Amino acid sequence: MNIPKIDLKELEKMKQDNFRERLEFIEKYVEWIKKTSNKEWSSQQKDLIG
Amino acid sequence: MEITYTENQIVFKKQLNTLDKFVIDFTSLLNRLDICYVIVSGYVTILFGRSRVSEDVDIIVERIEFDKFEKLWDALKKDFVCINAKEAKEAFERYLQAGVALRFAKKNRFIPNIEFKFPKISLDLWTLRERKKVLLNNHEIFISPLELQIPFKLYLGSEKDIEDAKYLYNLFKNNIDTNVLNEFIQKLKTEELFKKYLE
Repeated sequence: MNIPKIDLKELEKMKQDNFRERLEFIEKYVEWIKKTSNKEWSSQQKDLIG
Repeated sequence: MEITYTENQIVFKKQLNTLDKFVIDFTSLLNRLDICYVIVSGYVTILFGRSRVSEDVDIIVERIEFDKFEKLWDALKKDFVCINAKEAKEAFERYLQAGVALRFAKKNRFIPNIEFKFPKISLDLWTLRERKKVLLNNHEIFISPLELQIPFKLYLGSEKDIEDAKYLYNLFKNNIDTNVLNEFIQKLKTEELFKKYLE
């Protein structure tokens, strides 16, 4: 395996971008939870976490 | 654990959980359309038995042309829905080409979902090129090489990430290429975390 050069600044920016995207997703997720019945969202949650 | 680890692939069987089935359904379509991808997220740890959950699975997909993406979009339509874009053109241009991930869930579901993105940096391209094949109950899926996955988790640095790194290291330390692992540990400046928590 040839190991690539790693630009830590570039990597840090990507980490921050990914974090921002995840926070945006949490906003969408909460919007969805609020407008979805408890029966429905909890059913999906149960399927995922048991 | 009964598992076969070779240079080319990792082979094992297990009882599939909801996330495993979801990943197999999605990646089967990528495999069928011959689209190169690699799973890079915490799911890699869950795949190998860590008992935690994740509501998303990160997948880096080779940069494909719109025509091929549209074929995938059409194939996904049967069972999946894109949470953050309605049309293929919008998904491709406003999200993927702009470096923003798409999120796909099963129809009428919100979780779990696939975080689908093009490679952004050289490390992403390396991960795609060096991806490791896993045969899970005879289903073919591709994951990030563990020699990178472990130090990268340390680099991310949350308690959950360090726990994942420790889990994978303890499970596979006799299988992975130590030289490659050490090189990534150095390049990602994670030597101290590795010594403190994994060794």
